[in-house]
Amino acid sequence: MKDYSYELSSSANSADLDVVESKNEGAPGGGFGDGMSGMPGGRSGNSSDDDSKLEGDITISGINAYAYISGVQNETFTIKDGEYFDEDSNDKAMISYEFAELNYLKVGSKFKIKNIYTEKEIELEVIGIYDTSEERSNANAIYMNIETAAKFLGSDDYKDGKYNVSNVNYYMNNSDKAEEFVEKVNADFKELSENKMKMAIDTSEYDAMSGSIESVGSFATTILVIVIVAAIIIVTLIVTINVKDRRYEMGVLLSLGAHKRNIIGQIATELLIVGTLGFVLASISGTFLAKAMGQGILESQITASTQQSERNFGRPGAQVGGSSKSGGMPSMPSMSDTGGQNMKQRITASRNQDIKLDINATPIDFLLLFVTGYLVIILALILPSVNVLRYQPKEILAGKE
Amino acid sequence: MSTLKVEDVSYSYVNASGEQQVLKNVSAEFKEGKMYAIVGESGSRKTTFLSLISALDKMQEGDIKYNRKSLRKIGGSEFRLKYVNIVFQSYNLIKYMTAKENVEVAIDFDNRKVDANTYLKQVGLSEEEGGRLIGKLSGGQQQRVAIARAIASNSPIIVADEPTGNLDEDTEEKIIELFKDLAHKDKKIVIIVTHSKKVAEHADKILRLRRGELS
Repeated sequence: MKDYSYELSSSANSADLDVVESKNEGAPGGGFGDGMSGMPGGRSGNSSDDDSKLEGDITISGINAYAYISGVQNETFTIKDGEYFDEDSNDKAMISYEFAELNYLKVGSKFKIKNIYTEKEIELEVIGIYDTSEERSNANAIYMNIETAAKFLGSDDYKDGKYNVSNVNYYMNNSDKAEEFVEKVNADFKELSENKMKMAIDTSEYDAMSGSIESVGSFATTILVIVIVAAIIIVTLIVTINVKDRRYEMGVLLSLGAHKRNIIGQIATELLIVGTLGFVLASISGTFLAKAMGQGILESQITASTQQSERNFGRPGAQVGGSSKSGGMPSMPSMSDTGGQNMKQRITASRNQDIKLDINATPIDFLLLFVTGYLVIILALILPSVNVLRYQPKEILAGKE
Repeated sequence: MSTLKVEDVSYSYVNASGEQQVLKNVSAEFKEGKMYAIVGESGSRKTTFLSLISALDKMQEGDIKYNRKSLRKIGGSEFRLKYVNIVFQSYNLIKYMTAKENVEVAIDFDNRKVDANTYLKQVGLSEEEGGRLIGKLSGGQQQRVAIARAIASNSPIIVADEPTGNLDEDTEEKIIELFKDLAHKDKKIVIIVTHSKKVAEHADKILRLRRGELS
């Protein structure tokens, strides 16, 4: 597993603060884009049936790492002032630029907002002011770490480190091992299914990216075959012309007693020397080119994937948020205590941050290059060699050929 | 004593007029330590005869033997490599090489480590001339390079086609002496096809080709 993230959502009210009016009717309230994107105004992670009707004007978005905020991952989220929060930034929050302007808040300002369940006022300090280019963003979303966000839940259980999370994402290094991971988690934490929690695998982004690269690979194979055939024809032509140009020299050598096999050997040696130099250069340049091209393809695919994600943002059913009744979630093992329903733990094989293609040619690749290259040379030598075998020194020197 | 024997060799070719008999039952014997001159009028097939004894062409009938070993068994390439070297009328030097490099080609075939300038000096060419490209040498100098290459090959038989055709009198004299030395001192078989009476006079034996028959 490469990394994981978990999110906690709730909402809050304030009598002293104004809220930014929504630009888009029905705009999503949550800021995560994954778990909470479809939930207007955000909602408590441990809401009961009665609580579920409670809704605050301010969205509380807790996440274990700033980098996993969907806007950050989509690169639509920027910090205009201050800095981002981390695990130790308790009672500190990031607010939107519009919300800050409206309420004359700046970095370092303190403000109070009310837990909608307990009516308790909680004081937060502005650690950063963010701006987002997302059209369907919620300017009333306040981002903070999990521990701070847990204070806006319906119970005081958070003090014991027990609170619900709405969405957990596991990021795998290798998509092939996703099934294995899910099986292991289900086997080790049987209470997940008892609490109607669901583990789901989502390799769509990875598949989209790898599919694109694989299609390029398939195209490259076709090109390779064409190039090999073309190379055989071109090298044959060049060597044939070269042999014809050196016919006189070969006639002289034959008249001095050179065997035809020696002359063919000389041509082959010259080709092999030039070929070997070419293969070495091709190996070096090809490695750099493959890295550049592969990364280029991947980046364009990431852009396309991001745009697609943005188009899907807030689409009903596109992502499943969830709540759980109780549980602790500071770290993955404590998930055994987590209960709830409709919780989708999404395993994503790759994300658009820190994605780099590891393109390396193995010794077998180089071996294949050299073997193929030498085969091209050998095949290209056949026709010129037949010409050499036909040469008669007397006819060449008499100028009859 | 090494001997080159030509036994009832016949040669013909086919053209638009049909089969043309060029040489008919030609026999001759060439011994080491002697210089032979083959003379005859133009069209008497002297060069064809030379091509056959130097294995540049294949005879249809008869045999050529060097020390009782048949040319047919030795093979043309092997025969040219080990036993015979040819001085062509048109020199047949490799033009993109220097005079020295042309001589070195023959030395390399023999895997010997000899300075090519030794042979160039024998034919009267200086080191400076040896370093020149073939195109920068006169016809006479090119002919001398061709002779130097033939000497350098260390073959027991040297066959020359009009070797003094492009040389001035002084050089011609020197080249004749050189061929005589190759025959008499180095104990090679030297066969020269020539129109030159002067060259023929220096030969140990003169063979005349007339209408494809040797006398």
